[in-house]
Amino acid sequence: MIDFTWKIAGEAGFGIMTSGLSFSKIASRSGYYIFDSIEYPSLIRGGHNAYQVRVTDKKLSCQKEMIDVLVCLNKDTYEKNKQFLTENSFVIYDKEDFEIKENFKKIALPIKKVINDFKASILMRNTLTIGASLALLGGEIEVFLKLIGEEFAKKGEQVVDFNQKTALAGYNYVKDNYSDKIVNWLDKKSAKEKLVLTGNDSFSLASIVADCRLYCAYPMTPSSSVLATLASWQEKTGMIVRHPEDEISVINTAIGASFAGIRAAVGTSGGGFSLMVESISLAGITETPLVIFLGQRPGPATGMPTWTEQGDLLFAIHAGHGEFPKIVLAPGDVEEMFELTLKAYNLADIYQTPVIIISDMYLSESHQSIEKELIDKLISDYQIDRGKLINNLKTKVENSNLKIKSFLRYQISNDGISPRLIPGVKGYYYQANSYEHLEDGHTTEESLPRKQQVEKRNRKITTYLSKDFQLPKFYGDENAELVFVSWGSNKGIILEVQKKLREKNIKTGFWHFSYLYPLDKKKIVSIFKKDKKYILLENNSWGQFGKLLAAETGIVINDKILKYDGRQFMPEEILIKLI
Amino acid sequence: MTQSSINDFTGYSPTWCPGCGDWGILTALKQALTQLNLDPSQVVFVFGIGCSGNMNDFLNGYAIHSLHGRAIPNAIGVKLANHKLPVIVIAGDGDCYGEGGNHLIHAARGNHDITVIVHDNRVYGLTTGQVAPTAQKGFKSKSTPSGIIEVSVNPLSTVLTNGATFVGQGFSGYMVDLVLLIKEAINHKGFSLVNILQPCVTFNKINTYQYYLQRVYKLDEVYEQSNFQLALEKSLEINQEKFPLGVIYKEDRPTFNDSLNQLKEKTLLEKDRFKNFELLENEFI
Repeated sequence: MIDFTWKIAGEAGFGIMTSGLSFSKIASRSGYYIFDSIEYPSLIRGGHNAYQVRVTDKKLSCQKEMIDVLVCLNKDTYEKNKQFLTENSFVIYDKEDFEIKENFKKIALPIKKVINDFKASILMRNTLTIGASLALLGGEIEVFLKLIGEEFAKKGEQVVDFNQKTALAGYNYVKDNYSDKIVNWLDKKSAKEKLVLTGNDSFSLASIVADCRLYCAYPMTPSSSVLATLASWQEKTGMIVRHPEDEISVINTAIGASFAGIRAAVGTSGGGFSLMVESISLAGITETPLVIFLGQRPGPATGMPTWTEQGDLLFAIHAGHGEFPKIVLAPGDVEEMFELTLKAYNLADIYQTPVIIISDMYLSESHQSIEKELIDKLISDYQIDRGKLINNLKTKVENSNLKIKSFLRYQISNDGISPRLIPGVKGYYYQANSYEHLEDGHTTEESLPRKQQVEKRNRKITTYLSKDFQLPKFYGDENAELVFVSWGSNKGIILEVQKKLREKNIKTGFWHFSYLYPLDKKKIVSIFKKDKKYILLENNSWGQFGKLLAAETGIVINDKILKYDGRQFMPEEILIKLI
Repeated sequence: MTQSSINDFTGYSPTWCPGCGDWGILTALKQALTQLNLDPSQVVFVFGIGCSGNMNDFLNGYAIHSLHGRAIPNAIGVKLANHKLPVIVIAGDGDCYGEGGNHLIHAARGNHDITVIVHDNRVYGLTTGQVAPTAQKGFKSKSTPSGIIEVSVNPLSTVLTNGATFVGQGFSGYMVDLVLLIKEAINHKGFSLVNILQPCVTFNKINTYQYYLQRVYKLDEVYEQSNFQLALEKSLEINQEKFPLGVIYKEDRPTFNDSLNQLKEKTLLEKDRFKNFELLENEFI
């Protein structure tokens, strides 16, 4: 069984992120599954950047703690990471930089010398060390050379040649000097074609599939790459991507566009989301569909911008003054991100209300490999459902003397949902009113219509719970006494923990929640059993989902494993707490 | 469809104070729209919050009655989605120059093709008489009993220096000119601001009809609308309590939407759905 972790690290600002992704793609193209994650401070230069890729020959869902191949671009890398090395770990380093006294498998590569001899840029260290890594791991250099060809094609043949030459130099050096150390961990094998996606990539791609036509955002880690990705595609896809003056403008632009009849989304993190909150309430009362992508990072305030946390769940659920329906979904991995993003656009249109997709830095910025056919299946199965939108743009007014009429935009209905007419349809008009309103949108402060509209909006929740709410997914052994309860990006980590426990003959169950709000009390109460031991696992310090579950269903989970240092869980640290 | 009439646009009876400048603005706007051959189903209004925004119920048309300060980004969104519809923002001075001031500057920069009509009465009427950002220094109000310390914002020079391609100023007492000005602003391709001086008969006892009648003047026919320096000078005359009326500045510059290749053929709303997902998936292999 192949299961190893390769990590490259060094000073920020020297292309480590790009080269790490290259390694992930090489492994994926060589037929393996990958899960990678990055560490970087909120700086452009200096500080420690790291890119860690776990490679396996079976589907995998998270990182492991120990490193099998460490590529050190400086001494600091070695000092920071040696605690994660075993005597079987390889260390690729430059003797000119530092010496290693400890007993690891040392691969001394003359990095500085080659770079000087080639008169190459310091960025080429990455190419050189990936070449060396491939030789050590028994991979095929051709996979890397082809990737270089694709990635540098725009920069011309000379740049491609030079990069390929550097990659080969690293590859050959290890082949020539360390042939006794070479392992067969990256043998090229045939496998199904895979995509290497982050949560943000998955959201971006799914948004295009869902026919979102306006994406509006102000850059904020960890959501920024959605903005960059969708912007880079806009000439191809025809989508408009707007980066306005602030997040208030972001959400109000999207609300305006959605009112005008197109699917629109916004993306942000906690701080930007805070600025959007008043307007979420506007979308609520005007019953304007809107998809909000919330990539969490540790707060409060600026917090730890480039790290991860699940600290905004209760905030998201309660965002917006007044009472109005809101749907909150939390994908657990890139596949669920794709599926739930597609779903979110439909739900926003059907229920004419904001739908929040809650991610975090760990899900948003870690790459996972996923079989392309899985994504293709999700795409071909997808049906756009725009709910009660009336899209008769081409309908002509039959009677030319027809008096222009007000349209009953907020018509009272049993399911709480009213017909929505695309503005511009001839012969009608209505207003989407931020004030409480009558069925035709005119302002009212009267008791009865107020009550009727509040109840109409509330009925959307009932309709959602009966038609679209999904119970959490269960993983593991149904008879197990020990059952994990969690949500969002902890999914993959808990699945790995369950696997390790199974190896020790410990059976566990796991309820993974992704339809977080509103919650269906009746259905949820029925899945929780008195004779089981439930453990709540969350990447925050309050156990926010536990609070939500207690408030909505009365179920109280006393045993909690919480982590709030800005890092995701590692399976090993959970195991230590359990055994 | 038969030609629209003013009555088509007429909604509920206004709840404004008798004598309020808002009446004149509403009448002028309805006349302008009718003269432009628009009917209520062919136009989108975005109303801010305040006495001005309350026009939402008095004027028929597709509309968003937005939040305080946020009408401009809503309007930009509508225009991005369907650039065939004229989009008109109705806002107040506190709304547009205070709470939503940032949006105003950036909408001007972007030359978004929307018309922003601001009711400038230099006071907050709906919240019963606090100071507005356009109030004269020293103005005493419920929130500034000893007189406002800040100097007034200058809406005309603010948008001028931030890229607005149409800057106009009207007076709610001069209806005929106001109709012409609003029509020209709606017809202008690009961002247009129409600042309308209007007395608040209830809460502003300084900037009254008499005050304005003595201080406003119409720009004459030889005034060069495309002269930026001249426009800037005109915009600064407020410091001497002089108020030029008419088109202060006008220039042709591609609008935000004109610069988007995505909108070259159809509106965002009318476009066919993009379906070549394979093209995008390939980037992740």
